[in-house]
Amino acid sequence: MRKLLQYLLEQGVATQKSICPPLDDDAQGLPTLTASACSGSSCSACQEACPTEAISVAGSESNEARVSLDLGCCIGCGLCIETCPTGTIAENRSTQTAASRREDLVLTNETTELTARSIEERPTIFANSLHARVVSTGCSSCDLEIGAAFNPIFDMERFGVHVVASPRYADALMVTGPVGRGMQEALKRCYEAMAQPRLVMAVGTCAISGGVHKGGYAEANGADSILPVNVYVPGCPPHPWSIIHGVLVAQGKSTVGPAVLRTK
Amino acid sequence: MKLTRKQVILEDLSNALKTATHEGHCRLGLLTSVDGTQLCSLVLDPTLGTAEYWETPLRNSYYRSLTAVLPETHWFERANWDLFGIIPNQHPRLKHLLLHEQYKRGFYPLRPQPLVHERAEDTDRQFHFLEVQGEGVYELPVGPIHAGVIEPGHFRFSCLGENILNLEIRLGYVHRGVEKRLTEIPWTKARFVAEAAASDTAAANALAHAIAIESLFELEVPARAQVLRTIALELERIAMHIIDIGGIGTDIGFLGFSTSMSRLRGKALGLAQLLSGSRFLRGFILPGGTKPVSAERLAAMLHTCQQLREDLKPVIAILEENLVATERMDSFGKVSRSLAREFGLVGVAARACGIEYDTRAHFCQGIYPKDAPPLSVEQNGDILSRTRVRIAELWRSLDLVEKLLSETCAGATSTTSSCIELPQQLPPDAVAAGIVEAFRGELIHLIVTGEKGQIRRYCIKDPSSNNWTALSIAIRNNLIADFPLCNKSFSLSYSGNDL
Ligand code: SF4
Repeated sequence: MRKLLQYLLEQGVATQKSICPPLDDDAQGLPTLTASACSGSSCSACQEACPTEAISVAGSESNEARVSLDLGCCIGCGLCIETCPTGTIAENRSTQTAASRREDLVLTNETTELTARSIEERPTIFANSLHARVVSTGCSSCDLEIGAAFNPIFDMERFGVHVVASPRYADALMVTGPVGRGMQEALKRCYEAMAQPRLVMAVGTCAISGGVHKGGYAEANGADSILPVNVYVPGCPPHPWSIIHGVLVAQGKSTVGPAVLRTK
Repeated sequence: MKLTRKQVILEDLSNALKTATHEGHCRLGLLTSVDGTQLCSLVLDPTLGTAEYWETPLRNSYYRSLTAVLPETHWFERANWDLFGIIPNQHPRLKHLLLHEQYKRGFYPLRPQPLVHERAEDTDRQFHFLEVQGEGVYELPVGPIHAGVIEPGHFRFSCLGENILNLEIRLGYVHRGVEKRLTEIPWTKARFVAEAAASDTAAANALAHAIAIESLFELEVPARAQVLRTIALELERIAMHIIDIGGIGTDIGFLGFSTSMSRLRGKALGLAQLLSGSRFLRGFILPGGTKPVSAERLAAMLHTCQQLREDLKPVIAILEENLVATERMDSFGKVSRSLAREFGLVGVAARACGIEYDTRAHFCQGIYPKDAPPLSVEQNGDILSRTRVRIAELWRSLDLVEKLLSETCAGATSTTSSCIELPQQLPPDAVAAGIVEAFRGELIHLIVTGEKGQIRRYCIKDPSSNNWTALSIAIRNNLIADFPLCNKSFSLSYSGNDL
């Protein structure tokens, strides 16, 4: 025990000071759209490359070409960024990617300046204390990243967030995974057992839209097909900082941040 | 890997499997079907590093269960009932494994034609737990939603006082239809779904997928890709073993240790991110090779890897030297070697019972079986043994990654590309498998293509499908309070089993 204490003292504080900083240089970020003109359906390289049908390209003339990119379906594989010849799709290194409305995750190259995303920050009663019940319905990497968000490096507890073992004590329900038929009943019951006011956070692309699983016989199409969702955290899995950002959005202390483009 | 195809008639199947696995050196990799009109067995021969694919045509949608002869088939048979409607008559505990009450009766997702007028239609999907009777015996239901941050599953304990008499595990809550989805999409996009089967095992799943696809084409990937794939596979093992060893600390109440481990896991994930851009190595391994990695990144990885080893040493020593911790693990949650063999356990759980089976030593994956690390084996089959196996493997994986990184940095293979182009169309009527030692153990991806080269059947066998039974065995006659720790020491995947 003495050795452990000595070791812990020697290690000092591991916690990162800056909150939700951009991703490290070596990390792959989510895609975003820029003002560079897209050459339209004569190209469509991104749409063909995307494994989750997150992108659609319409219009053929350069000036009419419209791309729409649904971050709620995106698993962040980076293929669209690699294939885009016009620089319309670029990599966003921001970790402030959580949004409180599903529409805000759908980007189009007509509204790249995030015009849609102008919800005001409004501290909620959960601003200083938010107890969360985590219900996993998926493949565990989102759960691991939620776990990591509580480690000494990210230390989500400093924002007043605690994981609780019963919905009775919970303010927020954090859902991970695509919510297939096997979990729908349990998830609903968990939600119903929570006292009001209560929030639902969909953490990860699966929880938002079903991700790679959507549209199958298991009806794994995301949390908002059965519950009202208040906060969406895209990513497959989202970075721990993005999960923390989701919590800050839930607490009314933040909104989706501007893109931080990778400079080549 | 290439598979030798064989026809085995139903009447001979049970004996043939028994001879191969009990008297020979073989093991049953998986038992499934392609479309419900046959049984397919994958028979692995570790000594030769080969595998046979046996096809057994079925006249009806039922046959005599193999479980009584080969206990390791018990979950496969349950899954086959769910997915294909094939009923194993006289199965000692035939229950649904993957599809719950929400699904219509008679719905078999992987059977192309609906089953007409079979007995299968009459069985409901109600799940009946094994009832333990006797004075004072009570049931303790836990889940599907667990107290912590973990995937869902239901545990039904039958207890007398604090003592667990029986544990029945009900899974299937995270069934997402992964195998069906893999037959619906173009194979070029399948890798993303294959990874998501259990994305804490993304690298191993991607590797098994890639090996299966490349074996269909009978193509070899460049040497550099093999090295990078091995590094990815071992990094995944390092990161996950760190979290699993740290998790043991959480369940013992040795929190300073577990927090230190979770901090160090961040370093391992940083290594993964340096290699692939993703903390979970998503998208790094693909059919044909790997994504490119720059020399600078590899050099940075070598440095971090050496640092990680130095950082881990004092922390692991703190656990190993702590008597309270080791005594808490010693002789709890035991699985005997004979039961481990009977149920075909794999991975850490098997090696902790003295079973010397690690697919890296037998089947081609990355640079293996050449240069496979020495086996880490313990004899006691308890929580302590499983933890010790993990610790030994952690050091060995670190050794290996360090060695491979310094060789690559020295430039032996750096000029060649790490990926080759594959043809667009998969070869028709072919079958191939990828067998990989994931951090949990033997992982198998099996692909059967149809007449136009489409994927007819994609079968994934996660190591956890073999090992869930071990948890039930291990916890018998232990206390309820021992369960979390025991469960952690197996560290099983729900999603990998439920698919
Ligand atoms: S990064 Fe997202 S949007 Fe782009 S191709 Fe991959 S999944 Fe699709």
